[in-house]
Amino acid sequence: MNEMPHTSLPPAAMNAPAKMRTRDLSFFYGAREALKSISLDFLENQITAIIGPSGCGKSTLLRALNRIYDLYPGQRAEGEILLNGENILSPGVNVAYVRRRVGMVFQKPTPFPLSIRDNITFALGHFERLSKADMADRVEEALRQAALWDEVKDILGRSALSLSGGQQQRLSIARTLAIRPQVILLDEPTSALDPLSTNKIEELLDQLVRQFTVIIVTHNLQQAARASQRTIFMYDGEVIEAGVTEEMFMAPRERRTADYISGRFG
Amino acid sequence: MNLLVLRRKLFDAVMIALSLGATAFTLFWLAWILWTTVTQGASALKLSIFTQMTPPPGSDGGLLNAFFGSFMMVVLGVVIATPIGVLAAIYLAEYKRGTRVAGVIGFVNDILLSAPSIVIGLFIYELLVLPFGHFSGYAGGVALAMIMLPIVVRSSAVALELVPPETREAALALGLPRWKVTLSVIARAARPGIITGLLLGVARISGETAPLLFTALNNQYWTANPGAPMANIPVVIFQYAMSPYDNWHALAWAGAFIVMLFVLTLGIITRVVFRQGARS
Repeated sequence: MNEMPHTSLPPAAMNAPAKMRTRDLSFFYGAREALKSISLDFLENQITAIIGPSGCGKSTLLRALNRIYDLYPGQRAEGEILLNGENILSPGVNVAYVRRRVGMVFQKPTPFPLSIRDNITFALGHFERLSKADMADRVEEALRQAALWDEVKDILGRSALSLSGGQQQRLSIARTLAIRPQVILLDEPTSALDPLSTNKIEELLDQLVRQFTVIIVTHNLQQAARASQRTIFMYDGEVIEAGVTEEMFMAPRERRTADYISGRFG
Repeated sequence: MNLLVLRRKLFDAVMIALSLGATAFTLFWLAWILWTTVTQGASALKLSIFTQMTPPPGSDGGLLNAFFGSFMMVVLGVVIATPIGVLAAIYLAEYKRGTRVAGVIGFVNDILLSAPSIVIGLFIYELLVLPFGHFSGYAGGVALAMIMLPIVVRSSAVALELVPPETREAALALGLPRWKVTLSVIARAARPGIITGLLLGVARISGETAPLLFTALNNQYWTANPGAPMANIPVVIFQYAMSPYDNWHALAWAGAFIVMLFVLTLGIITRVVFRQGARS
C-alpha cells in the first residue's frame, strides 16, 4: 500500500498542477494512528472525492488539511502537507492564514447566531477593510455563488437560524466563499439534507470548481461518481486507490475498491 | 390481558396523582408564604412604602432608603461579578476545558458557591470595614459580588460548554483568531445561558442578609453615598422583624413581600429568556 498512488496516475490525469499535496502524512488521536503515511495530490480546479467506509480516516484527512484538529490537544499530524509547495505542518506557520486559504464546510450546517448578512461580513470584515457598498457587493457575490441570493436577498437582516437546513448549508458555503479561499474542503456537506438541497449543492460544486480546488468527503457513491473528477478510496487509514473518477468506478484496479463500490462492504 | 392493561392504567393514575401532589405541596408553601407576607404587611403596603424613609418606632414611614440602598449594592455586585465571572468562565470553558487547571479552578469555584454567606460577610468586614473604621455600601456591594461571582462563573461556563463544537470549528475554519471567535460567535451563542445565570445571581444576592450585616450594616436615613453605612431591605427586615413595634413588623412583612415578588419576577424572566434561547 505504500506504492504512492500519485506516481501511478494515468498521464491524462496529470495535466492539472497539484494545489495541495500530502507526503507521508500520519495522524494520531493520542496513540491511535488514524492515517498511515498517506501521500496524495489534490489537483487545482478539480473536484476530488474521498470515499470509504465509516472510520476509514477520510474526515480525519480533511481535518488535517486545514489544521482544524489543532483545537484538540492530543491530536497531531506527522509528515508534510503542502499548500502551493509550502509545508503547513511546519512550526511557525500562521495557522489562521492557512485556514483562510483552505476553507471548510461541515456535515451539519453551522450558521452563526447572527443575521444572514453578518454571517458573511463577520469574517470578511475582519480580513479586509471594505466600504459599505463594497461589502454589500461581496455579500451578494458570495450568496450568488452559493445559489442562495434569490432566496434571501430581501431578508438579509433576519437571523440565519431562521433558514431551512439546506439554506443554512448554502449560507455556510457562501460564508466560506466570501473570503476567497483557494481550496474548499467539504465534509459530507449533503448528508443532513433533503434530495432537493443536495441537488442544488452538487450543481454548485460544478460552478465552484472553476475558481477553487474542491475536496469533498462523501458517503454517497453516486455523489462521488456524479460530481467529482478524481476519487480517492480509503480504508483503515490508508489510501487503497486514487485516480480519475470514471476509471475508478468503471475499472477499479484494486479488489477492495471494487468490493466497496459494488456494495459488498462498508 | 385486560387485567394487565387495567394494572398499568391504575399505576399511571397513581403516579400522576403523586407527582401532581408533590407539585401542589411545593406551590402550597410558596402561596402561603406570599399570602402571609401580604396579609401581615397589608397595613404598610401602600404607595408611601416607595416614597418615605424608614420611620422611628410608632410613626408612619416607608422603605425608600432601604430599597435604594439594596438597589445600589446589588448593582455594584453585578457590575463587579459579571465581567470577572464571564471572563473566568470563558477561560475555563474555552481555553482550559478538560484540563487539570480547569478541574481545580472549577472545584474551588464550587466551594465558593456553597460557602456560608456569613463567612463572606466576615471576610469583607476584615478587608473593607475594619481598615476604614466604618461600615459602607461599597463593602456591602463587594460582599454581594463575592456571592454572585461563583454563580456567574458556573452558569456561564456551562452555557459556553453547551455551544456545539461545530460552531466553534466553523468559525475557526474561516481563519479567524481565537479571541474573535470566542467573543463574537461562542459568547453570543451562549448568551441566553449567560443571562440566565446573571438573573439567578441577582435573585440570590437581592435577598442576602448575612453578608450585609457585617458590611453595609444599616442606615435609618436617606443616603446615596456608598462610602457610608447604607440601608438595605434584608437587614431592615431582620431588624424590624426582631423589634417589638407593630408598624415596624408591618414594614418588615411588606418588604419581604416585595423582595419575594422581585425574585419571582426575575425567575419568570429567566425562564422566558432561556426559552427564547432554546428556540433559536
